[in-house]
Amino acid sequence: MKPTAQIISWILQLTIITLLAPAAYAKLTAHPDAVALFTTLEMEPAGRYIIGFLEAATCALLLNPNSAVHGAILSLGIMIGALIAHLSKIGFDNMFYFSLILIITSSAIIYLRRKQIKSIARMLN
Amino acid sequence: MAGSIDLHKISRFANLAIPSTAALAFLGGHFVSFYFHFLTVTFLLLTIINIFYLFIQKKHTILRNFGILGQARYIIESIGPEMRQYLFANDTEERPFNRIERSEIYRKSKGIDSASSFGSQLNFDNAEIKIRHSMYPIDRENIKQYALTFGEERGVKEPYTIHKPYIISAMSYGALGENAIRALSRGARLAGIAMNTGEGGIPKYHMAEGGELIFQMGTAKFGVRNDDSSLNTEKLKKLCAEPTIKMVEIKLSQGAKPGKGGLLPKEKITPEISTLRGVPMGQDVVSPAHHIECTCKKTTVAFIKNVQDACTIPVGIKLCLGKISDFHEIVLEMKAQDTFPDFIAIDGAEGGTGAAPKAFMDGYGMPLMPSLYAVNDILVREGVRNKLKIIAAGKLINSSKQFIALALGADAIYSARGFMLSIGCIQAMLCGNNTCPVGITTHDPSLQKGLIVQEKAKRVANYVHGLEHDFYEMLAAAGIKDTKNININQLYIPKDTALAGQINELQQKAPTPSA
Ligand SMILES: Cc1cc2nc3c(=O)[nH]c(=O)nc-3n(C[C@H](O)[C@H](O)[C@H](O)COP(=O)(O)O)c2cc1C
Repeated sequence: MKPTAQIISWILQLTIITLLAPAAYAKLTAHPDAVALFTTLEMEPAGRYIIGFLEAATCALLLNPNSAVHGAILSLGIMIGALIAHLSKIGFDNMFYFSLILIITSSAIIYLRRKQIKSIARMLN
Repeated sequence: MAGSIDLHKISRFANLAIPSTAALAFLGGHFVSFYFHFLTVTFLLLTIINIFYLFIQKKHTILRNFGILGQARYIIESIGPEMRQYLFANDTEERPFNRIERSEIYRKSKGIDSASSFGSQLNFDNAEIKIRHSMYPIDRENIKQYALTFGEERGVKEPYTIHKPYIISAMSYGALGENAIRALSRGARLAGIAMNTGEGGIPKYHMAEGGELIFQMGTAKFGVRNDDSSLNTEKLKKLCAEPTIKMVEIKLSQGAKPGKGGLLPKEKITPEISTLRGVPMGQDVVSPAHHIECTCKKTTVAFIKNVQDACTIPVGIKLCLGKISDFHEIVLEMKAQDTFPDFIAIDGAEGGTGAAPKAFMDGYGMPLMPSLYAVNDILVREGVRNKLKIIAAGKLINSSKQFIALALGADAIYSARGFMLSIGCIQAMLCGNNTCPVGITTHDPSLQKGLIVQEKAKRVANYVHGLEHDFYEMLAAAGIKDTKNININQLYIPKDTALAGQINELQQKAPTPSA
């Protein structure tokens, strides 16, 4: 990885962490907003814990350069789920843009670190 | 893709099924339970990857034709060697070392008795050299302890004596990781044998264990070079003053890549290696094909003299034989200049390497046994066999192979891969990728973690112990009281072997050098 790519990737990783860590915290500590959200989705409380846990795991993975790309894949998945939730059940609100931003940043990290996806890297060189 | 399973059909089905599952899961998530969306997301991501494989990337035919199922082929291919090794290979058919050979070393290293039952699995029909025993075996107590003193012929100030015929052959820090180097050198010290440092520059980790070392000067002269890769005598003197450095070996060529310089792939260049060798990171390090000083026989012999003059310890050379006449000529030149290396290490073309171009590994150089015979023969004919010692290298991993090499003229045995096997090498053949699964040829800390230096050092010592035990037993069976008396009459050499051909050729016409 070139140094610039490295720097950009780190900025994006930290961006995701800053956005995602509070969200994970809110879900795992049963913040009323989070509870309300998952009640709408009829996933309260198990779904809230699962997603909260996955978000926390994402942050952890993103902190380590060796696992960052997997963190990004995970966050992409979660945020596609969030997008589906907004489009199909909740409707547009700020959170919709929130997930859109995270989808874009995650994809960018995946692109920058594509060589680190081991199973794919093996084939592409 | 013929046969009863039509992979093309299956993959077309999969390529449709993946997005369809995503759609179905979406419906499930919308109308039944939001939990279905976990599936939606997973299959959506798979769909995206598949679109990339099928329509965007252009490099891989299989992925473009078959999509994500095609990836299975790559995965299976990448674990193929392991599959073959564990499931499908015969005991005697793997290379470079088959399972019988490997397990003998594993057993010796673990100190387990290597007695086998029922019979040999090797081939006795035509192509195996065997050792002749005596009708009158002797007692082990009557055999003189092996000892070999390098440098005695030339009267060097600090000659070096070994008491076991084994030396760990050149492997650099770089080709091997820190733990492997430490395990080998600690093991060598436990076993009381020497170890060659390889061409990796200042042998920091080799020296750290305090064992006896042979410093190898590769063609790039890492550790003792000037910027143009000529010899920096001051640096060499300083290094030779280290108490652990017992001899110097000038590497002219190596069996796995004769005529080419050393190669360290960029994957394996850590910041530390880049400083120890004085090379940049991020690119392969390719050493020159020859020492800059050595352009013909005259300059080569003169260079040997130069190095000998700079050191007070024995100085030898390592080479793989190409043209026998080349060797004959350089021996004549040595006589003319009255300069002889204190030892010549003959590396057979079957020798191992951390990384070498395939064409060279497979196609270049003479195999060890005929080389060894030719070298010994020429030195004897020229009346200079008593001027130097011969060390043999090339798959000499078990006692009988080693005995054969000694009978063909070698005074001592080099082994690299034998000792790698003793510290747990499973012949995964990934030495150049930095992904060695047993932590030997890698710098990845998570892979080196499993290689516990103290444990593996013991294995090295056990292995040497086992070899030595066999060696004296074999001497006793052959009725040989002094190891110096092992000679070619001790061997049964079938007519169809490469060795027999070489012997015939040399006996019929002593090759006359063109010069
Ligand atoms: C991992 C590895 C690294 C090696 N590095 C060197 C080296 O730095 N210099 C050298 O002259 N030979 C090197 N060799 C070759 C060995 O020293 C030896 O000549 C050859 O492998 C034959 O011995 P073997 O069949 O017992 O392995 C290396 C071999 C291996 C397997």
